[in-house]
Amino acid sequence: MTDQSQSPVLSVEALTKDYPGVRAVDDVSFSIESSTVHCLVGENGAGKSTLIKMLTGALQPTSGRMKVRGSAYEPGNPHDAREGGIATLFQELHVVDELTVLENLTLGMERSRFGFLVKSDLDDRVVQTLAAIEPSIDPSARVSSLSVAQKQIIEIARAASSGASVIIMDEPTAALSEREVARLFGVIRRLRETDVTVVYISHKLDEIFELGDAVTVLRDGKHIVTKPLSDVAGRSELIEMMIGRNVFQDYTPRTAVTNEAVLIARGLTNKLLKDVSFEINRGEIVGFYGLVGAGKTEIARALFGADKVSGSILFKGQKVGNSPKEAIAAGIALVPEERRTQGLFTSLTIRENIPVMNLKRLSNRGVFRSSVELEAADEYVGKLNIATSSIDKYAEKLSGGNQQKIVLAKCLFADADLLLLDEPTRGVDVGAKAEIYDIIRSMADEGNSVAVFSSELEEVLGICDRIFLLFDGSLETEVINGPDVDAAHILNVVTGGRGGAVQ
Amino acid sequence: MMSQSSTLAQPPATRGVRVAHFLRNYYIYFVLVAVVALLSVANLDKFDLFERGNFLNEKSIINILRVSAPLLTLAGAFTLLMVSGYIDLSVGSTMSLSAVIYALLAINGVPFLAAFAITMVAGAGLGAFNGFLVVRLKITPVIATLITLSLFKGMALLLVQDGVSAIKSGGGQKMPGWFNSYGREGTLLNLPMAFWVAVAVTLVLVIAQNRTLLGKYAAATGGNPTAAKLSGINTGKIVILLYVIVGVSAALAGIARSSFMSLGDPLSGDGMELTAILVVLLGGTAFSGGEGRVLRSFVGALIIMALTVGMLTVVPAYYQTLVLGAVLLAAAASNHLISRKETAS
Repeated sequence: MTDQSQSPVLSVEALTKDYPGVRAVDDVSFSIESSTVHCLVGENGAGKSTLIKMLTGALQPTSGRMKVRGSAYEPGNPHDAREGGIATLFQELHVVDELTVLENLTLGMERSRFGFLVKSDLDDRVVQTLAAIEPSIDPSARVSSLSVAQKQIIEIARAASSGASVIIMDEPTAALSEREVARLFGVIRRLRETDVTVVYISHKLDEIFELGDAVTVLRDGKHIVTKPLSDVAGRSELIEMMIGRNVFQDYTPRTAVTNEAVLIARGLTNKLLKDVSFEINRGEIVGFYGLVGAGKTEIARALFGADKVSGSILFKGQKVGNSPKEAIAAGIALVPEERRTQGLFTSLTIRENIPVMNLKRLSNRGVFRSSVELEAADEYVGKLNIATSSIDKYAEKLSGGNQQKIVLAKCLFADADLLLLDEPTRGVDVGAKAEIYDIIRSMADEGNSVAVFSSELEEVLGICDRIFLLFDGSLETEVINGPDVDAAHILNVVTGGRGGAVQ
Repeated sequence: MMSQSSTLAQPPATRGVRVAHFLRNYYIYFVLVAVVALLSVANLDKFDLFERGNFLNEKSIINILRVSAPLLTLAGAFTLLMVSGYIDLSVGSTMSLSAVIYALLAINGVPFLAAFAITMVAGAGLGAFNGFLVVRLKITPVIATLITLSLFKGMALLLVQDGVSAIKSGGGQKMPGWFNSYGREGTLLNLPMAFWVAVAVTLVLVIAQNRTLLGKYAAATGGNPTAAKLSGINTGKIVILLYVIVGVSAALAGIARSSFMSLGDPLSGDGMELTAILVVLLGGTAFSGGEGRVLRSFVGALIIMALTVGMLTVVPAYYQTLVLGAVLLAAAASNHLISRKETAS
């Protein structure tokens, strides 16, 4: 792929990973040169995470080979990967808050005599490594006193001092402020100087241009290109490679859309959101599209009254946004992103789950009527085509798609006029996805409004009539969906390309 | 490079944070002083445990330290276990069972050192059993040790049997003379062996916490189990070892108490688990694990005992538990405020 004489530190050959019914990574081959920052980009579902999981030993490839410095590399688990010199910076931080920086850096590698800790050259080496990549962190400080960004740097230093030659970073800037991002970049550059290779995954294209030496683009599980970033003309070329000639079809303009605004949000502002204003019309499906951390979930929670924000939210002329109870009473329902933990009572049965948001309908002056519960459950299981042998099955036993349908049934039973769906098809298989889209469309056709909060472009382009584009807490612009919608423009906006105003 | 590093420099600790830090480290000693001072000015005339209205005299202090020996012995190990994020509700029953075993051995003519050693081994076994249930069978610690609380107590009751309430002199059998002196008679500084054993156990555990892998791994296990495992630490082994240490400490506590009372009482450890939890929390140990110091729990135990014994005189019996609860509530609240202040930087 490259004619550099240097041998690659890491390479994959014809790597393939099959899941039941889907080939997540399809015959991917490329190599990563030593002491570079190698970026990995691609749309959601392009196969990045699957590829990374194979590199870190969390998943085993169906076929194909991986090599570290020319010799075979077959990690059976993350621990093998560490031994092989490949460390991963997880999104979730794995540091012990109660220990000091130094103690964290040497954790599990301490020298001891008869169980007693002894000072060793390791301590000095670790301190030196830390000083080399981030001199301002005091090794004797307690980790609990550090910021998220500093904790991340501790993890990086740990990986570097344990002799890792490759450090994989999956969206490391997702939780960082702008200033912290700059620091992290400094750390990454210093790592590169010390002969560590960084595999950097990010949706933020500006970061990639700022930091990367080379880039690999994946699309639909296939390898598109690997080349030096200096050979990439700019954002537009990268975006083009990411989306290819993909046609986001199956959207047909809907007739049920009205111009009657049911929800008017003005100047929503909180820690993340910056003066967000928009309207949602009756019978309309709107999409909120942006990267992780752009503010989608925050808007959904604000509309539902789950988080306090400043600004005003009027729903059917009535002020809402103070509490979920108020929102439900007004006719707003939220299907949260984490459906297993926030949307579903997994230890209850299907028939018990469906009516929970509107138990009043089941009772007659406080007396519970199980016949109504039975009717409702039967009705929605049929209507939403929930695949189950019995309505008395526990929700945890169902597939992701069927669980999501139950959550939707809950909202339907509650007679919501506005449905807020946060990542409605995450973890749902392709077949159930289509069914869920049908349900969403038919709900809107009946005169309800639906807001879809999604980080999948295909999803918002498939079902939404209007799409609000978010970046870094601001609503950048809105796009009317239609046959000639410009996907490249949308990607450009949500990855921070609003004409130099960003960072 | 310099300019870059300065952007990451931690904000200098504000005065408030420094004060909070200081308080977190030393507040327990202030509480001890305050409690002692309070009890010293209180009118203790009516009670003859203290001589003539003065709490701060040798006899009463020796008295308190004497009865404190079991709790002081237990507090350190219990702290380490809680630091690792686990708990042992069976300590009271382990104490009772050990007390009965020890008394049975003594009354049947087993010499002091042998009885002592056998009881400690028994305690280690009971602790290992707890560790086995929690680590190998993966039973939730609270449930597992609630089960053994009942189990161990049942065994203690079974060992006593025959309608007598405890193992003691009488019916042709007699406790040897050494039995009582271990927990009661002064040796060094007029304090009994049992107290000095408690001090020794605490010292050993303070060193273990600060200077050994065990101490560090306990904190790592309690602070972030996933990180500990990813670092290659065998957390299961650490936890089992800590349960064994708690078992041994509980056995020593049982020996101390049975010796003080001159009998092997199968109910002597009842309620000890709650007292131990209170002491450890008073010492600033986090219920969620990761955080806690052996020495502070030792001081916490002294405070609780001073209060309990001191209150026998000043406060009517039916208020005592309430006052104890109030003190702990105050401790918990101030602890929370301090740590909030500390992190609010």
